[in-house]
Amino acid sequence: MELPGKGLVKGLAVTLGTLTQRTGTQQYPDVEPDLPPRTRGVIALIEENCTVCMLCARECPDWCIYIDSHKEEVVVPGAARARQRNVLDRFAIDFSLCMYCGICIEVCPFDALHWTPEFEYAEHDIRDLLHEKDRLEEWVATVPAPPAHDHRGEPAKEQTAAAKRSGQSAV
Amino acid sequence: MTSELTVGTGAGLDTADMVLNIGPQHPSTHGVLRLKLVLDGERVLSAEPIIGYMHRGAEKLFEVRDYRQIIMLANRHDWLSAFCNELGVVLAVERLMGIEVPDRAVWLRTALAELNRVLNHLMFLGSYPLEIGAITPVFYAFRERETIQAVLEEASGGRMHYMYNRVGGLKEEVPAGWTTRARTAIDQVRRRMPDLDNLIRRNEIFLARTVGVGVLSAADAAAYGASGPVARASGLDFDLRRDEPYLAYGALDVPVVTRTTGDCHARFEVLLDQVYASLDLAQTCLDEVDKLTGPVNVRLPKVVKAPEGHTYAWTENPLGINGYYLVSHGEKTPWRLKLRTASYSNVQALSKLLPGTLVPDLIAILGSMFFVVGDVDK
Amino acid sequence: MGSVVGDPIKFVLNWGRRYSLWVFNFGLACCAIEFIATSMGRHDFMRLGVIPFAHGPRQADLMVVSGTVTDKMAPAVKRLYDQMPEPKYVISFGACSNCGGPYWDSYSVTKGVDQLIPVDVYIPGCPPRPEALLHGIMKLQDKIAGEQSGLGGVNRTDVKALTAPPVRRP
Repeated sequence: MELPGKGLVKGLAVTLGTLTQRTGTQQYPDVEPDLPPRTRGVIALIEENCTVCMLCARECPDWCIYIDSHKEEVVVPGAARARQRNVLDRFAIDFSLCMYCGICIEVCPFDALHWTPEFEYAEHDIRDLLHEKDRLEEWVATVPAPPAHDHRGEPAKEQTAAAKRSGQSAV
Repeated sequence: MTSELTVGTGAGLDTADMVLNIGPQHPSTHGVLRLKLVLDGERVLSAEPIIGYMHRGAEKLFEVRDYRQIIMLANRHDWLSAFCNELGVVLAVERLMGIEVPDRAVWLRTALAELNRVLNHLMFLGSYPLEIGAITPVFYAFRERETIQAVLEEASGGRMHYMYNRVGGLKEEVPAGWTTRARTAIDQVRRRMPDLDNLIRRNEIFLARTVGVGVLSAADAAAYGASGPVARASGLDFDLRRDEPYLAYGALDVPVVTRTTGDCHARFEVLLDQVYASLDLAQTCLDEVDKLTGPVNVRLPKVVKAPEGHTYAWTENPLGINGYYLVSHGEKTPWRLKLRTASYSNVQALSKLLPGTLVPDLIAILGSMFFVVGDVDK
Repeated sequence: MGSVVGDPIKFVLNWGRRYSLWVFNFGLACCAIEFIATSMGRHDFMRLGVIPFAHGPRQADLMVVSGTVTDKMAPAVKRLYDQMPEPKYVISFGACSNCGGPYWDSYSVTKGVDQLIPVDVYIPGCPPRPEALLHGIMKLQDKIAGEQSGLGGVNRTDVKALTAPPVRRP
């Protein structure tokens, strides 16, 4: 037969033990949280890298990326014909609809899109959650460097590609 | 049926049955389950769970999304075990396409699935005492949850919806030193679990509320198709990780936690002991991951198409058996992806368990069935 | 009403309102878990004056709609909002309640809780992290501080003026 009240005493002992420990509360507005680089907070756009291939817009499960563009002729000296080039007019992501899956970033062939851990963009009006090109570019400053991969696994694709490029230039 | 209600002196000792509606938004239904009860005073005469308040038509949406997009939708129906849900989908697709997943990815997946199981169980270990009046354990449970979530976020980038599985492996390699940090987190949680354990497991008030309440017999559990901790607490010794191993479970010695009493306390204890077991399993998997080298995913064709055919993949999710029946007509999208969710079967047992109990016990039983409403309604 | 009470009184009223937000968690789906995480020890929104002990909508000042609102659930959302006393505020937490989110093409999901009730702050994310909720709450507190409210609360736009007609019981 167990001593009556033993369970309660055990519980109170835990409370007493916790009382002497430091609290784990994060003082968020005063102290910024330390977020890992892979955190999916908001998407940043590097406009120069975008070639208007529309892959991100097509692969998005939510269709929350809006892209407008027009074609421009570029006269290359020496070439027989003028070349066609896509010019980005509008690139917008609707963050009220976005489900933060990262497929757009994964499919982007020219690394124009990047995750950043920023999260402070709640709005009073839902229309302000549609981030246009200039707003998306502002996030670029907050993009962290990607973490190094575990040395037992394969290095990142970008790393392999860069090594190959530098190897070729050396030859 | 017509019924006559007599009140006043002529009514004698007969009382009118009352129809009470609990939910859909009620603090103790954790989620939006609605119960229609017929009460005779304090005693429940019949109980009918009314579901569908969280029905989001996920199965229909699967049919218009390609497999990568499905992964991201699939982890949302049971939001407490996102990783395990992703796993079911990719296992089905991989089996249909005949993809061999690299060893390192298999072991990493197993480790992450076990960590996800711990996360899920901690949520219920916190919320169940909360529902029957003990507010403190939930703070301890969430302290541990945050520890593990931080590790998972570092690898996948998400706190709840990891989106880390891909057909043929994982999205990318884990960051350098991640396995060490994951092991530290596991050690930390294991060291602090006794806090939660001491607070609630043998607490007299908790025992009085749960022991002998809501006894589900093994036969009933089997009849309703209950699985997972709910069935194992009734003595139904069935765990897919041991009985039909997937991932790397075949190479592991999976301890199956069972109880025989089948009451609320047994269900709670199964969950609690399962946390310790899962922490050990995750640790073993991480040790194994550290021994392996190589890629974590395979090169896929530009457009992933499952060949024509059908397959049924089932996994032991934290809440029970989740099945994914995938029918493909050889296109980018599945023709049909049927979900068999654990919570749906577990909730059905309520209509058997609840009649005859008292209203205060009802809350204790409801909380101990461990369901996620999104998993019930899909 | 704004003209009846003077500016100092208004300041005191707004000050009281913004730092004692009794919150009613309309927890529907995944985001509800993050809401609970915010109320727990690590993030602890009681620091900001948000009190998660409202017994029901009748005692609450702030409703946080966290999760997918389905068409079946919509009447209940509207009803519980109507039960809240003025002044009342609504935070839409997460993509699902902002505009349907992942379930934008589902047949059974309401595309945004703002079709039913007026929303003061939209928090993006799927689910948003706890710090994002804290940020949203501070945003709401800023809004309350600048309000021209009187004793009876703020004049709001009529719900009928919103994009879609409110859901009615058939």
